[in-house]
Amino acid sequence: MEQFVVTTIRLSAPLIFAGLGGLFSVRAGIFHIGIEGLMLAGAFATVAFGTATGSVWLGILGAIAVNLILSFVYWLLIDRFGADMIISGLGLTTLCVGGAAFLMNALFNKRGSMTSAVRLPQPVVGPQEGLLAFVSELSILAWLLPVFVFIVWLLLRRSRLGLQIAAVGEYPYAAEAAGVDISRTKLIAMLITGLCCALAGAELSVGGLAAFSENMTNGRGFIALAAILFGSLEPIRTTLAGLFFGLADAVGINSQIYAGESNIPRQFILMIPFIATMIFVTLRGAFAHRRHSGG
Amino acid sequence: MSRWLAIGLRVASPIALAFILGFTLFAGAGYDIVEVVNGLWQGAIAAPGSLEQSIRWAIPLAVISFGIIITLRTGEFNIGAQGQILLGGLGAASVALLLPGWPPVLVIPLALLAGIILGALWSAIAGVLKVFFNADEVINTLMLNFIAALLIQWVTTGPLKDDATRGETASTPRVDRMFRLSDGTGVSIELILIVVVAALLAWIIIERSPFGLKSRLVGSSPRVAAWQGLQIKRIHITTYLLAGAFAGLAGALEVLGPSARLVTGATPTLGFTAIVVAIVGMLRIPGALAAALFFGGLQAAILFLPIVSRLPSSGLRIIEGLVALLITAQFLWQRRRRNQGQKL
Repeated sequence: MEQFVVTTIRLSAPLIFAGLGGLFSVRAGIFHIGIEGLMLAGAFATVAFGTATGSVWLGILGAIAVNLILSFVYWLLIDRFGADMIISGLGLTTLCVGGAAFLMNALFNKRGSMTSAVRLPQPVVGPQEGLLAFVSELSILAWLLPVFVFIVWLLLRRSRLGLQIAAVGEYPYAAEAAGVDISRTKLIAMLITGLCCALAGAELSVGGLAAFSENMTNGRGFIALAAILFGSLEPIRTTLAGLFFGLADAVGINSQIYAGESNIPRQFILMIPFIATMIFVTLRGAFAHRRHSGG
Repeated sequence: MSRWLAIGLRVASPIALAFILGFTLFAGAGYDIVEVVNGLWQGAIAAPGSLEQSIRWAIPLAVISFGIIITLRTGEFNIGAQGQILLGGLGAASVALLLPGWPPVLVIPLALLAGIILGALWSAIAGVLKVFFNADEVINTLMLNFIAALLIQWVTTGPLKDDATRGETASTPRVDRMFRLSDGTGVSIELILIVVVAALLAWIIIERSPFGLKSRLVGSSPRVAAWQGLQIKRIHITTYLLAGAFAGLAGALEVLGPSARLVTGATPTLGFTAIVVAIVGMLRIPGALAAALFFGGLQAAILFLPIVSRLPSSGLRIIEGLVALLITAQFLWQRRRRNQGQKL
């Protein structure tokens, strides 16, 4: 039971970091399909910079720098050069998948996967009694998750920036008329998305295992995007959706371990987040007017 | 003439830029560019069997891109080809595996048809949800890709399991030799004939049929189309069915052709590369065929390059990603436009 809760939190944490990060872009009207790639870039860059410098914090800083640059390029292409956000976003993901594998090979002479020399600190380790058992071996990033959720909530719901982002996404003409710089607001939103995806990637690669493998994200970026939509573009609901999707993942993994006890194939449990998102998007589409493309 | 030159430049310049950026990175990482270029040339064209490999990969890319061209022209954004290919493969594999010993003249058309129908139905799910419930097709086709991948994972580890395989590469048993359209090389007269027929059909649908005309109108100016009294819902549903049918056909050709079996996690990037093929081909069938050969060559080189040069195959994935990242951008000489809320 305790182990199950720990697994759920560990699987949810990257989804919540990436989901809440992506929320800034999606609220600004950018259906940011490159989140998957940015997460992978973050995971690799953390391991690469961390291994090179010997410090996990410098690793995360490096990952944030890489993701800010990638986000800026993506913004430049879709905002300044009119590129299609979906196709460029898919391209960004392919670039990151290829880039991570290529650089792993070129810089560390490793193929497929590599171990990380550094790992995030885990405040509580080893077998624990009582409440502490629910947080044993969770990384410091996972511990900071509630703070992160609160900051995102503050930024999106209680700050001028959050208001501007929502206005740009929902009523771009009104926002422009009110003097909001649309391009700049989008850039800020996308940079925040990049930063959060670096954290999501770091949690994935150095949160538990301390390793990076080529296809480490395995669609988690797209699941994070689904969590945003499932969460109706709201920070708290997106967090809950991330927890729910992490739970489904944990159930899927456990059913693999206890095969035979349940008759439902693991794959059908793993389908739940995707089917739930489809149903939800369909219901919302049926009952509400389309707000903006991709929303 | 200058119009075609402009179009050519518009397509060629992002591709050239992608190669320049990629090669700069390779040079920076200490790889010998001459060796890489030679490896590309060998892997895509010159080495024995390379040209076959290029064509082998061009075949599915071309067939899938036909369907994507139809959807993009109607103004829909279907990124679900990946799942539709898998369902097409499932249809073909099921028929071929469940009817052993039946005459091939019966089984092969049935298998192709099953692939086409399953692909079309899978695509139609997103189409119906879009048309009748206003549910976003980008999200739903994305979700359907994951559901399809898990479904195939279940099929290949459960109902149609080959006991010799497991895990990431679990697959169905091999399809009977009689039912195959080609050997492992994936190039044969039969396959090429099917692609030619598919290309002709797609060309007729797009350029010469009432549906093609109507769908283009729906895509370019939906309001005018509505005033004209076009049945927009029907056109949209037909679009999704056609897109899924072409992707399903491609999946069926994989199973009856080079792959001989349905494999979990096979060709994970094919459906996505086909979108790039459609756009590089300027949403026209001849263009898509040329683009499919180009990206087929790139795919063949990706698989070949690690053998001849030290450059890992991921290097070419970088170039593929850069092409997709840049291909829709409007550089310098084009009219810059805001495409807020506007797809493509």
